[in-house]
Amino acid sequence: MKVGLFIPCYINQLYPQVAIATLELLEKLNVDVYYPSTQTCCGQPLGNSGYEDDSKGACQLFVENFKEYDYIVGPSGSCIYHVKKHFDILEQTEDVIKVRNNAYELCEFIVKILGKTDLGAKFPYKVGLHKSCHGLRGLNLGSCSEKMDEHFSTEEELLNAVEGLELMSLNRKDECCGFGGTFSVFEEAISVKMGKDRIQDHLDSGVEVITGADHSCLMHMEGLINRDNKPLKVMHIAEILNSSI
Amino acid sequence: MGRESILKSIKSNKPELVELPEIDLNLFAEEIDILEAFKSNVKLVGGKLKELGDNEDIDSVIRELYPKAERIVSQLPGSNLRTVLITKETEPHSLEKIDLAIIKGEFGVAENGSVWVSENQFSVRVLPFITNDLVIVLSKKDLCLHMHEAYKKIANRDRNFGLFISGPSKTADIEQCLVIGAQGAMSLTIVLI
Amino acid sequence: MSHSEKAEIFNKNEAKVNWHDKALWFVREKRDTAAHKVKGWEELRNLASGIKANVLSNLDEYLIEFEENAQKNGIKVHWASDAEEHNTIIHKILEDNKVEKVVKSKSMLTEECHLNPFLEDRGIEVIDTDLGERIVQLAKETPSHIVLPAIHKTKEEVDTLFQEHLGTKPSNGNPEYLTNEARKHLRDKFLKADAAITGVNFAIAETGGIVVCTNEGNADMGAHLVKTHIACMGIEKIIPNEEHLGVFLRLLARSATGQPITTYSSHFNKPAEGKEMHIVIVDNGRTEQLSRKEFRSSLHCIRCGACMNTCPIYRRSGGHSYDATIPGPIGSILSPGKDLTKHSSLPFASTLCGSCSNVCPVKINIHEQLYAWRQIVTKEVKQPVVKKTILKITGVALSNRLLFNIAGKSARFMLKYAPRFMVYSKLNVWGKARELPEIKNQNFDDWYKVKRKNNG
Repeated sequence: MKVGLFIPCYINQLYPQVAIATLELLEKLNVDVYYPSTQTCCGQPLGNSGYEDDSKGACQLFVENFKEYDYIVGPSGSCIYHVKKHFDILEQTEDVIKVRNNAYELCEFIVKILGKTDLGAKFPYKVGLHKSCHGLRGLNLGSCSEKMDEHFSTEEELLNAVEGLELMSLNRKDECCGFGGTFSVFEEAISVKMGKDRIQDHLDSGVEVITGADHSCLMHMEGLINRDNKPLKVMHIAEILNSSI
Repeated sequence: MGRESILKSIKSNKPELVELPEIDLNLFAEEIDILEAFKSNVKLVGGKLKELGDNEDIDSVIRELYPKAERIVSQLPGSNLRTVLITKETEPHSLEKIDLAIIKGEFGVAENGSVWVSENQFSVRVLPFITNDLVIVLSKKDLCLHMHEAYKKIANRDRNFGLFISGPSKTADIEQCLVIGAQGAMSLTIVLI
Repeated sequence: MSHSEKAEIFNKNEAKVNWHDKALWFVREKRDTAAHKVKGWEELRNLASGIKANVLSNLDEYLIEFEENAQKNGIKVHWASDAEEHNTIIHKILEDNKVEKVVKSKSMLTEECHLNPFLEDRGIEVIDTDLGERIVQLAKETPSHIVLPAIHKTKEEVDTLFQEHLGTKPSNGNPEYLTNEARKHLRDKFLKADAAITGVNFAIAETGGIVVCTNEGNADMGAHLVKTHIACMGIEKIIPNEEHLGVFLRLLARSATGQPITTYSSHFNKPAEGKEMHIVIVDNGRTEQLSRKEFRSSLHCIRCGACMNTCPIYRRSGGHSYDATIPGPIGSILSPGKDLTKHSSLPFASTLCGSCSNVCPVKINIHEQLYAWRQIVTKEVKQPVVKKTILKITGVALSNRLLFNIAGKSARFMLKYAPRFMVYSKLNVWGKARELPEIKNQNFDDWYKVKRKNNG
């Protein structure tokens, strides 16, 4: 099994530790991982801003970069969702279809494809899980509070297997944090308010570390936490699953 | 303008025919105690419930529930509580000061505590709304599980005016505070016989 | 003003935002509880969506069938292509019947057509009889929510309003007292009215009848006291058969308020002896929306308001920030079809979280339609030069690895070494309330080149 590691642009530039944790985790799980060095971005920021047509170059490059792999794995639900959902703007060649079908968010890849939940991690903290919308409602990583389906959660399965980790229960299980890509800038007031409300829910629930499978949401909340000096730490789920404190 | 242009526009804009799905009742079948479910839902929607005991008669039970009611319209055969007689010709505005209306319910729906009543049970359409308090007398035998069954039961009715009533008139339009008694009846009691 | 500007103003009062958010979240939670009690909820949604899809694909036939059956039962049917025709038809009916006073129950369609001012200008008194609608009518405002029209008003504000208009005593906003005073006020209006206007929740092709749902009983109080009842409906209110009401009535109130059914679900099939009943069937842009493949299913909407209650943006920006008859997520996919320029900011008033699509009882893919409208807005409505330029350049950079490297490196360089006052300037909207990420010495590419030499 040959896996192409997809590192979203902002993680590459701003959160290399998340990319490293993802890579190390996959290596630990004996996955044959490759990092195509000419990758850029999935095109999501453009599509969500209404400039889908201008993103075709980025989407096409994505396909070129990853078409040779059996699976494409990335530590970001929303980027993977974009590949699966919105690459319909490209001509649906065999390569495009293959890439779209085989793109996986990291947690889902570990649980569904590798069939593993206990990764031998240790993390003795009270953790709050932020279920990012595109992963949850887009990729179906778990059941959504709006639906009457049976409860399940890919990330919870993984976190519950981490030694010492206590997963805290939130008042609003899966409300959006307000990041939303360019929404965070064009609707600044609401975006900030949503983020603050999410953070408060974690604080009220005794959380020490907020985690999630999408670092863009975490970046937004971390920005608010740091500005307001709230006693919370933010870590990508890959960092927790890769830790052995 | 109007009819022809709308129909023409629909014809040219509508998609290919999408088949009408069948309602598969097996998806919604449940083995539950219909009577208990009905009773608990009547309470949930703010209604009062009175089960008629073996030795009780309807009139005295209703009298006890509404001792102050003076202007009473009863559309129940054999009831002696009536103080105001109405017919199909009664001017609806004249019901303005009715304290209590008593009508027969055709059947109740367990899933939502509603009761189907129709014009056949009351001579003037506005009666169940304009009355201050409303009593619906319903037989325990006349209950169904859910709305799918309910529509089967009324499929062959005489279609004039009818409705499902679920509890008393209510509103939460001021700061989401539930207040019983908006524009319709202030209370609804279901007397189960 | 754009949605974001109005939302920013709404957010100046954080306590009110918190209240608004919690009040609507509470309704969302009641909806969840109610839906959980229904066996086969998701199947019910599938059915409802399937029935509505069938309706749209056969709409003309169903409307003809409906008209025929309604007429057989003595109901007069009218057709209106647009708001003006709708208003003119109603005015004509009222004039023919020498009507001076009208009571109206909730109808978003008449709001959409601006019927009230039209009739008032012609000397007819129109009283909204739903309590929430009466409140906003007295306040000379518009509904901020389609099910809870006055959700933006505090009870103290209602108290003051009623003192001024209904002569009530100060009550510190006692909801029981205020509701009861409104009841007395509206009773008087019902008794004096000459005609009643109601909306239509469902119109049944098979029977020619309509169903009107209320909790207050105001539609029935109006319709049964007057000689002339006029019901107004959009063409999409049609359902094929009466048995389909079983599906929709199970979904509607649970989705709207968490009640198992509304207090009154009234089935009007024939006018009472000596009375008149009119139905006005209205297009007003709906057939145009029907032509738009991507947005067609927005016409499935049964106006439950669940998407508003669940929307984290709606809850924190208030209904008036949308500046449209129908606010919230569903309004944001309906309104651009009516006036793209005016409503061009609405498809962007969303994080595309998808919660709206999940609560929707008729399964409208609202968040996907928001995404699709965005693509149209950027092409057809003039965009701010800065935004457009930045995104166009981004598109080029992302399709070219070398440019991407340069952009990433220079951004990191700037963030790391530029003085704080430059980074957190007015131009940086992100930094108004948020810190930027701390910049590490290496990006992942650099790390990888060093640590995993043999690969990639």
